[in-house]
Amino acid sequence: MEDCTSSSEQDYYCSDQDSLDGIDNDESHVQWVPPKASSCKVITKESLLAAQREDLRRVMDLLSLREHHARTLLIHYRWDVEKLFAVLVEKGRDCLFAGAGVTLVENHDLPSSSTIMCNICIEDVPGADATKMDCGHDFCNNCWTEHFIVKINEGQSKRIRCMAHKCNAICDEAIVRNLVSKRHPDLAEKFDRFLLESYIEDNKMVKWCPSAPHCGNAIRVEDDEFCEVECSCGLQFCFSCLAEAHSPCSCLMWELWTKKCHDESETVNWITVHTKSCPKCHKPVEKNGGCNLVSCICGQAFCWLCGGATGRDHTWSRINGHSCGRYKEDREKKAERAKRDLYRYMHYHNRYKAHTDSFKLESNLKETIREKVSNLERNELRLKDFSWVTNGLYRLFRSRRVLSYSYPFAYYMFGDDLFMDEMTKEEREIKQHLFEDQQQQLEANVEKLSKYIEEPFDQFGENKVMEIRMVVINLSVITDNLCKKMYECIENDLLGSLQFGIHSIAPYQSKGIEKATELSVCWNPKVTNTEKCPTRDYHTNGITKESNRPSGSGSLDESGCSSRKRPRKESTIDLNLPAEVIDRN
Amino acid sequence: MQASRARLFKEYKEVQREKAADPDIQLACDDSNIFKWTALIKGPSETPFEGGVFQLAFSVPEQYPLQPPQVRFLTKIFHPNVHFKTGEICLDILKNAWSPAWTLQSVCRAIIALMAHPEPDSPLNCDSGNLLRSGDIRGYQSMARMYTRLAAMSKKG
Ligand SMILES: [Zn+2]
Ligand SMILES: [Zn+2]
Ligand SMILES: [Zn+2]
Ligand SMILES: [Zn+2]
Ligand SMILES: [Zn+2]
Ligand SMILES: [Zn+2]
Ligand SMILES: [Zn+2]
Repeated sequence: MEDCTSSSEQDYYCSDQDSLDGIDNDESHVQWVPPKASSCKVITKESLLAAQREDLRRVMDLLSLREHHARTLLIHYRWDVEKLFAVLVEKGRDCLFAGAGVTLVENHDLPSSSTIMCNICIEDVPGADATKMDCGHDFCNNCWTEHFIVKINEGQSKRIRCMAHKCNAICDEAIVRNLVSKRHPDLAEKFDRFLLESYIEDNKMVKWCPSAPHCGNAIRVEDDEFCEVECSCGLQFCFSCLAEAHSPCSCLMWELWTKKCHDESETVNWITVHTKSCPKCHKPVEKNGGCNLVSCICGQAFCWLCGGATGRDHTWSRINGHSCGRYKEDREKKAERAKRDLYRYMHYHNRYKAHTDSFKLESNLKETIREKVSNLERNELRLKDFSWVTNGLYRLFRSRRVLSYSYPFAYYMFGDDLFMDEMTKEEREIKQHLFEDQQQQLEANVEKLSKYIEEPFDQFGENKVMEIRMVVINLSVITDNLCKKMYECIENDLLGSLQFGIHSIAPYQSKGIEKATELSVCWNPKVTNTEKCPTRDYHTNGITKESNRPSGSGSLDESGCSSRKRPRKESTIDLNLPAEVIDRN
Repeated sequence: MQASRARLFKEYKEVQREKAADPDIQLACDDSNIFKWTALIKGPSETPFEGGVFQLAFSVPEQYPLQPPQVRFLTKIFHPNVHFKTGEICLDILKNAWSPAWTLQSVCRAIIALMAHPEPDSPLNCDSGNLLRSGDIRGYQSMARMYTRLAAMSKKG
């Protein structure tokens, strides 16, 4: 029952926050993995238009639609072309169109030569000064323009509806652009930008890179939104939640963990909750066990509840000669439980933090390793290939990362917060043992690898170097396999058996986090529509220009065509012309 | 600003000309401010509001008719979609379903329709909404009728 804890022992609870920004993207600079064809694409400001047109074109071709109708459909279906096609097949064309606010009027009446009465300003206007939308509603240009301006300023560019009562139709973007630019060219630009950025903002498979300050890029993934990517600006992130790459933690686990670390670090008051100072010598005393009579090492006994000094004679319900009325067992269970939870958290957090810290220290190895390698090269050994050193270091980074994120994973996987009802106690114990076995094996091998990489092998003789080389290569293979196995175990045996699939994780990438390649765009404005785009399927590098968010189509009116697997006619595109005009070119 | 003035002026002339066309609605414009209007509407028959005359206040924004006017009851009314204290009205066409093709006159018509067909699921007056939702039609009607008598009928009646 006597326990006097010095506060310095508890100091590390406070430093949780810095460990969160812990693993940064340093490893990205250690790059020797040959670039492979990536399914993730970087969409720069310049290629945004081309990327968007690709999807527009598919819908326009399939449904023989004009561009603004295709866009209205795509915005409604959040740029999910497959979903749109599925609705088409299931519910038919009419239902698809009606749902999204696309109205096609078959017979466009000729513009009335005489005057029409505009129902908005209640004014008779010449037919030439009025515009009929696809839905058949006819109002004067003045009223239309005012309406568009109000809507654009309200931020509703993507879905400007017709002015008529109960008319669901979305206004033709070419008409909007045309009428608005006559009065407010800058507003028309804003309108175009909204339309363009809708491709990113309303699109499940495209997201802005979360870099700050923003690099100007967006990332498009092909088929799985649970993945980790690296933008061409160098930032690595989880595509699904936009936080740092955190697998094998699920997004929800990671969110909870970050929050928990933050909250716990704010409970420096842990000490105040769990210790009280002795009324005699004022040292903090930790309560140990259920009884509320506490003794300090100085010999003083006191009442835990009121802090008052007491004698030592007591029962469970009262202390002799002391009656603060609070000496009861009631809140005991709660306090004990909270303490147990905290210890459990500390267990996982300390390991998580230890690996994060090691990762930081090892990141500093990059320079030393480079030096060592050049020393070795100068030594004129028979051995000429030193890729095993950098590969080993890289493997160390990868697996260290996996290891540190495996602790918050385990904290939630085997704790009470998330899956209490999903597993029986026994089931949970078996799974936990299975997982911890793997984790420990990985841990042991990562530490070994770390130790060998840090050896001053550039000072060793050839035989010793060869020996270390073998060990490093072996350990690299082993840790890679162990990581892979751990992910498989998590995906199949642990998360896979859960009822609700909300805990998907990004798959293990032996080569590291995938670098998104630039969406290729050809820049030659002289390409005619009979020529194929010369850069087809060639992933260009380094067309990222100055980095701002895309701003206005005015800056995007270079001709661009993009390439992907789908074969189709490439042509020069003038943003300022409606699609049907371009088609006729 | 210019457009809204012109349009309101048109509506004003229309109201003057068609005064007899809709005897249930009497719209009037403030003498000094064309953006302030009031209306007297008759409670629809076969409702607890029958026999009452209700006053509405319109405040028209400068963006009118691109943006809807603000309308509230000046006369106390016990109705699920009208705030009992402020007279604020919950009606979709006064919010996101607004279309510039509406006029002040047609807004009055929509409000009369709302009086006859309350929407208990979007209540501004919870007591009234709860009565209706719990199926206590008689309770609702007697409360509404009482307030109509108290507030919307001339004192001598
Ligand atoms: Zn007009
Ligand atoms: Zn229409
Ligand atoms: Zn970026
Ligand atoms: Zn995530
Ligand atoms: Zn003491
Ligand atoms: Zn005791
Ligand atoms: Zn006490």
